[in-house]
Amino acid sequence: MRKIIHLDLDSFFVSVERILDPSLRGKPVIVGANPAYGRGVVAACSYEAREYGLHSAMPINRAYRLCPHGVYLHGHHDEYARFSKAVERLLKKYAPQMEQASIDEFYMDFTGTERIYGSLFLFAKKLQSEIEEKLSLPCSIGIGGNKTIAKICSEYAKPEGITCVYPGMEKDFLAPLPVETVPGVGKVMQRALKDKGFRTIGDIANAPEEYFGAAFGKHGLALWRKANGEGKEYLNPPHKRKSISKEKTYGKDVSNRKEIEETLFKLTGKVCQTLRNKNRVASTIGVKLRYSDFVTLTREKTIKPTDDDKTVFETALELFRKADTRRVSVRLIGVRLTNFDDFAEQEELFETEETIRKKMFRAINKIRDKFGYSAINLGGFPKRN
Amino acid sequence: MNKPKLYIGTAGWSYKDWIGSFYPFKQSKEFNWLEFYSRYFNAVEVNSSYYAYLSPRVAESWLRQVEEADDFLFTVKLHQDFTHKRKYGKEQIEAVKYILDLLKKEEREERLGGLLMQFPYSFGFNDGAVDYLRRLIETFGEYDKFVEVRHKSWKGKKAKTVTFCSIDQPEIGESIGFEPVTGNGAAYIRLHGRNTEAWKKSLNNFGKKQTYEEQNARYQYLYSPGEIIEIADKIKELYDEVKKIFVIANNHPRGDAVANAFELMHYLSDRKKIRMPETIVSAYTQLNEFLTN
Repeated sequence: MRKIIHLDLDSFFVSVERILDPSLRGKPVIVGANPAYGRGVVAACSYEAREYGLHSAMPINRAYRLCPHGVYLHGHHDEYARFSKAVERLLKKYAPQMEQASIDEFYMDFTGTERIYGSLFLFAKKLQSEIEEKLSLPCSIGIGGNKTIAKICSEYAKPEGITCVYPGMEKDFLAPLPVETVPGVGKVMQRALKDKGFRTIGDIANAPEEYFGAAFGKHGLALWRKANGEGKEYLNPPHKRKSISKEKTYGKDVSNRKEIEETLFKLTGKVCQTLRNKNRVASTIGVKLRYSDFVTLTREKTIKPTDDDKTVFETALELFRKADTRRVSVRLIGVRLTNFDDFAEQEELFETEETIRKKMFRAINKIRDKFGYSAINLGGFPKRN
Repeated sequence: MNKPKLYIGTAGWSYKDWIGSFYPFKQSKEFNWLEFYSRYFNAVEVNSSYYAYLSPRVAESWLRQVEEADDFLFTVKLHQDFTHKRKYGKEQIEAVKYILDLLKKEEREERLGGLLMQFPYSFGFNDGAVDYLRRLIETFGEYDKFVEVRHKSWKGKKAKTVTFCSIDQPEIGESIGFEPVTGNGAAYIRLHGRNTEAWKKSLNNFGKKQTYEEQNARYQYLYSPGEIIEIADKIKELYDEVKKIFVIANNHPRGDAVANAFELMHYLSDRKKIRMPETIVSAYTQLNEFLTN
């Protein structure tokens, strides 16, 4: 049986807004669209706002009608990302495996860690207080044998709680909960289920599997399995970025090659900056070119790993000039870096005599391997007195 | 985890726009800025030494002003003759050394944190630059040295005998991103703010005559709590590598540097409450959260 933790930051955007402005504590706070424009939705709202019936994804003008005295904020999204990263760094210290499901949700696999962390419930408590102490962020934690159970548990624990469902107890835990508790059951599915008399998860679990397959198709089957306490037991492996690219589509097609090359220059600057921020170097440089008639070309070249704007631009320019043989105006130009490596080890600046000589002899070996021993010799030989 | 000694402070202490946001409005005749500053911080970067060769009398008066502060250190910025004009002689070397020795050989306790060599953006990595730097390092061999280079061509370079500064600055062009580095058993972190727009503008106006406000606009930036936490986490990663860490906030306009330095202190001390003057808490109300009574 696996041990999956789902950690969900409680009304995360609002929590961050309250760190930025502590005077927002205790007030109904809504992050989302501006109610003055009447369009858009609530991205997050505080528990105080929920008392007025507000919830996330609610149209903003409806929220405003229900809670006109709330504090409506557009939100500091860069700051949310930073705090999310800080939580991630903190969790990474403990979790052998982690999958970030969204900006405020983390799955962690703690299978086989009992001897390190002891009771997972107590450990979750510690994790919760550490996040609160270090980052002032409240969270809820769910613990279960698979991702679905863990997620339902954390939702059940909100706010600031912990729910743990022990193996074998899944069906009992789920049975009384309303059908919409299952992740993935939206308004439409909920209505369809209710029409057929399914109100609780227990109702679904007790129905025959074949019926669900026939009545609701593939989704129905998946739902039936979830209702019976099944779910994904393994986290998705972390995905590493495989390429960095930047493109520019002109508002109006461009025939002036100088202008296109200037764009290429700007684009390479941007991709190189991203590359350096990730502390990586790339060896394959690619260029994408789309003409006004939508004929699209891509060209690639592999060079010595680099993160240098100049090298990347020169390569990209060479590729572009070679590829661009038609006298047709250009709709899109793009540059793409692939084939990454981590940035090389730090280099000692003031080399000692010894390391310089070591390097020299390595170079001598290479020359001799290629051209024979006598190809290079040490100069000078102490004279005999 | 081994915890190195942390020296947290600002670049310079004598800013008029800190009155009301750090220094009190009402100041008695005896009120002394540096003395007041040293009640809260344990390090300061001397920047005036970049523009002029300091007079020993001035340095001696500083020593008196921080007399009461334990473990307080000055780091001294090297004169521009050495780093920007790159034209100096024996006299200049001696003038700098005289002041450094004064701080280093202070009877009660050493007051010299080290010598900061700040090179301009144009000082890119090449054989000539390395050679120049090597000579300068040898010239000031007896002191701890911190070297700030801003061009990204220096990325990944380190040296056993000096500490390269880790700088946080707006990410534009080929500037170095914030990736703390260590060397000579220490780290020296300088926070320049992330005011991208003003920074670009200032690069364009380089060498032109500008007012004080114009010159300093690029440092006007208050780091957000999320940014401070990020910086603090990166600093903590260095704990096992070094014996001491200097963190100098240079985003001085209005007092932002002071506010951020206090915030960093708070986050680097595992969120201990911090002693701060009333002025800063009233100017930056978010600091109220971790003010100790």
